[in-house]
Amino acid sequence: MKQRKELNVNGKIYEVFVEPWRTLLEVLREELHLTGAKMGCDDGNCGACTVVIDGKAIKGCLMLVPQAKGKKILTIEGLGSGENLHPLQQAFIDHFAVQCGFCTPGMIMSAKALLDEKPDATEEEIRSGLQGNICRCTGYVKIVEAVEAARDKLAQKSNPL
Amino acid sequence: MRFDFYEPTTIGECIEMLTHFGQEASLLAGGTDLLVKLRLRHIRPQAVISLGVIDELKKLERKSDGSLEIGAMKTLQEVESSNLLANEFDLVRQGAGCVSSIQVRNVATLGGNSCNASPSADTVPALIALGAEVQIVGPHGERHLVLEDFFTGPGETVLQKGEILTEFKLPAPSSHSGGTYKKYAIRGEVDISIVGVATRLTLDRNHKLQEVRIVLGGVAPTPNRVRRAEDMLVGQDPREELFEEAAQLAAEESRPISDQRATAQYRREMVKVWTRYTLQETFQKARQNHHGKG
Ligand SMILES: Cc1cc2nc3c(=O)[nH]c(=O)nc-3n(C[C@H](O)[C@H](O)[C@H](O)COP(=O)(O)OP(=O)(O)OC[C@H]3O[C@@H](n4cnc5c(N)ncnc54)[C@H](O)[C@@H]3O)c2cc1C
Ligand code: FES
Ligand code: FES
Repeated sequence: MKQRKELNVNGKIYEVFVEPWRTLLEVLREELHLTGAKMGCDDGNCGACTVVIDGKAIKGCLMLVPQAKGKKILTIEGLGSGENLHPLQQAFIDHFAVQCGFCTPGMIMSAKALLDEKPDATEEEIRSGLQGNICRCTGYVKIVEAVEAARDKLAQKSNPL
Repeated sequence: MRFDFYEPTTIGECIEMLTHFGQEASLLAGGTDLLVKLRLRHIRPQAVISLGVIDELKKLERKSDGSLEIGAMKTLQEVESSNLLANEFDLVRQGAGCVSSIQVRNVATLGGNSCNASPSADTVPALIALGAEVQIVGPHGERHLVLEDFFTGPGETVLQKGEILTEFKLPAPSSHSGGTYKKYAIRGEVDISIVGVATRLTLDRNHKLQEVRIVLGGVAPTPNRVRRAEDMLVGQDPREELFEEAAQLAAEESRPISDQRATAQYRREMVKVWTRYTLQETFQKARQNHHGKG
């Protein structure tokens, strides 16, 4: 049975009519047409569906839509806008951390939650923070470099001296 | 998947709903195991009852007698990063930190890890090694048992119709002790354990082994203590050869199966190696704590 649900996504309140067995990932993609979060495995293993909820990275395919009630959901679409990219997005481009791009939104959202919590994350912490995200193209080295570059850029911004 | 979704706000209300729906209901904690089972149609409940907004299940408290109470709905990430669980209770943090990735730990709960009753659940050996008790609440009131008696087989527990696991109680540990959990898996944390070993040692004044716990995961239908090896060590002077002997006993006591991750023979061999390593590491920690606190 469909129910009315309010979802707070990227600072906007959306009203949707969905069955309670739909996953957050399905609803983001199919009802809100926010297709940045990808469906890879649909069983919690690949991380392509990663979004940030109340500051924490989660896998959208492992969460039923009623579980997201009242929470602040951030997807890759809420990170930058067109010309104005978030430092993580710019760093992924500058460091060739994108090949096919399927893992990229998930990677960036995991990195975003990690850097928000630990702005000075070490390479090791970055690697362990991205453990739940699989990339079949890049071999991870460029991705880690990109996150380190974004970390340094963000540190400069918050501390202009 | 087709079901109605319920969100009780108290334990009492939840038990009423569970009793009402009987076999037709599934409890949802974080959902990281349940969603996979729903998706694969392994279960087809009429009602999914979420524990997500029951605040009583989210406590984490150090009692005045030094014991600790952890609500079933604490996430593995909360457990892993809690300062209350540092030092004496660090084993639980080690176990929680071994579960999958941060995205899973941010939603998966400590209660769900036990209730799912996978033989290789990573927090269970650590909790058993610390002497954890569980509190179960149901239509006929509450009962308590030690965690090792909670499991009856793969995916099976003593929980009866209408009952929920509400919290874990960890007894106050001696300060002269240490604990280690080691998981062995092909792809590290993100993979399911082939073998998991938790050991805990407490030293007496004369540096003899006063209390010993060795708990194995992934190598029998349920996580279990290796009592023969524990008994052999108690009262002894900790020595390398003894740890080796205990590891051999642990391997003999284990009842592993062969599956796509490893053969039974390999698992048994890994029990030996991992038990020896964890005992050595645990002894070093216990000794340091002994010196540190006099
Ligand atoms: C990609 C992936 C990787 C994983 N890797 C690991 C790993 O490395 N190690 C590991 O140990 N686990 C792993 N898991 C399994 C899972 O994440 C854990 O078992 C987790 O702790 C389950 O908690 P949950 O809150 O998500 O439980 P849920 O899925 O909500 O519940 C699990 C089961 O327990 C029941 N239940 C839950 N809470 C209660 C309660 N309080 N009272 C009564 N019944 C209850 C539910 O009805 C359900 O049957 C993995 C899962 C995924 C998807
Ligand atoms: S689609 Fe969610 S983890 Fe793969
Ligand atoms: S860029 Fe193709 S999967 Fe990562």
